[in-house]
Amino acid sequence: MSETGTGGPIASDETFRRLGMAAALVVALSVGAFLALLFLSGHVIPGRQLINYGLLAELAQPSSDYYGAYINILQVFLLTAVMSVICGVFVGLGRISKTPLTAGIARLYVEFFRGTPFLFQIMAIYYGVPAFFEPGTFPLTNFTWPAAIVALTLNHAAYSGEALRGGIESLPTGQMEAARSLGMSYVQAMRNVVLPQAWRNAVPAVGNDLIILVKDTSLLSVIAFPELISQFQYTYSQQFEAWAPLVLVGVFYLTITVPLSALVNYAGEVADPSRRAEP
Amino acid sequence: MNEAPLLAFENVHKYFGETHVLKGIDLGVDEGELVVVIGPSGSGKSTLLRCANRLEEIQEGEIRLAGTPLTASDADVNRLRQRIGMVFQSFNLFPHKTAAGNVTLAPRKVRGIADEKAEERAETLLERVGLSDQRDSYPAELSGGQQQRVAIARALAMDPDVMLFDEVTSALDPELVGEVLGVMRDLAAEGMTMMVVTHEMGFAREVADRIVLMADGEIVETGEPERFFTDPETERAEQFLSKLL
Ligand SMILES: Nc1ncnc2c1ncn2[C@@H]1O[C@H](COP(=O)(O)OP(=O)(O)O)[C@@H](O)[C@H]1O
Ligand SMILES: [Mg+2]
Repeated sequence: MSETGTGGPIASDETFRRLGMAAALVVALSVGAFLALLFLSGHVIPGRQLINYGLLAELAQPSSDYYGAYINILQVFLLTAVMSVICGVFVGLGRISKTPLTAGIARLYVEFFRGTPFLFQIMAIYYGVPAFFEPGTFPLTNFTWPAAIVALTLNHAAYSGEALRGGIESLPTGQMEAARSLGMSYVQAMRNVVLPQAWRNAVPAVGNDLIILVKDTSLLSVIAFPELISQFQYTYSQQFEAWAPLVLVGVFYLTITVPLSALVNYAGEVADPSRRAEP
Repeated sequence: MNEAPLLAFENVHKYFGETHVLKGIDLGVDEGELVVVIGPSGSGKSTLLRCANRLEEIQEGEIRLAGTPLTASDADVNRLRQRIGMVFQSFNLFPHKTAAGNVTLAPRKVRGIADEKAEERAETLLERVGLSDQRDSYPAELSGGQQQRVAIARALAMDPDVMLFDEVTSALDPELVGEVLGVMRDLAAEGMTMMVVTHEMGFAREVADRIVLMADGEIVETGEPERFFTDPETERAEQFLSKLL
């Protein structure tokens, strides 16, 4: 009663709640004000229209190149999402291998692909690989797509692999032992007992990585992959208009990431082993 | 009868790094026999069972199942393990499978038994451990005692020659211990060969054919339960028993 503990709360729960609400409101109002200024700038500052709506309408037409770019990133995303998760299973299994050689190689793989920037990796593949050939003898005429797919897959397999390793390592060792003690081989035990459970643990981390994968497609602009940022740069260089293409590009990315994020949350809830659904 | 034991430990040595955990274990378990292994914590009881199932490798000696060496590097581990059922202190049920799913998984995947036949067999086994009404329950929906009984049914589904039990009631609330020991008692009565590590001295005394006392990685004394509990031969056994009272 008389003594004030040194570990006492800095604010009461109620104060903390109010502070949080106030901070959130300030953020929301700032963003709202910014968007209002951006979209209605013509009305706010006469003669100073930030978004060229005429151009926006033009860029948003079905025949616009932006749709081609959008379809391209969707395709490259879907393809590399599947491939990187499949490769990630092998990376994850390699990481937990008891064979030092396998574990060491998997470790180096992850260290390299997590330890260097994606921009470096895509350049190493796009410019570095053809350099192995005599000038003019590189067999692929359009190397942009293969380079993009390989680079994104290799990079994100490292992250999915680590996510899956985390999922496997968070399981009690007794799961593997129980399976083996019944006579299952390592592969049978992995396939039927460990991986189904590890997957559930890994869903949030893998999902998070898939959202980053969508955004990483933007980095393909450095190899002139026909995606949204390249489109923006083209429009800007032609028209010197920033906001009309920016708004379009932003909306395009969100149409992929927002549903994906909802899907990931849903999958995470369904997969959560602690809320095991009734049969 | 003087047949070779079904499960035989011959001069078994086990090291964890520098630590000498099993120091030359000689022990034979005859067909149909129930051997209870007791001893202070850390004496190597779990390690002994785990070696018999090759969850641990031994560094010296030999373990034989019906004469076949378990530790030969060309021994087919997966085949041998099917003949040795193991039940763990922490149940280790597969949480993503129902009770029936736990019981049918290995027969289906390892033996390639048809789903329907495996289901039928699981039904019989779950009934045998008193859980026929829980076949569709997930482990999280079962009590500890029920989970452990499913684990016993799961091990039985591979028709093992020997069953190993490692302190299978130690993680249970006291009121659930009886139902698991009851199942083990039934198994023993049906003639199953069993090696049981337990602290349940009442069970040991009543059901065991032979008691083995381990301490510091060695077998200190073995004997028939009545004689062992009433008139231990070694000072070590006397000490151990006096601490129980
Ligand atoms: N995986 C392991 N690594 C290192 N030491 C271990 C391991 N498992 C058991 N031990 C050691 O081996 C000894 C015997 O352990 P254990 O067989 O579990 O004994 P018990 O089951 O009789 O309590 C203990 O000293 C324990 O610390
Ligand atoms: Mg133990």
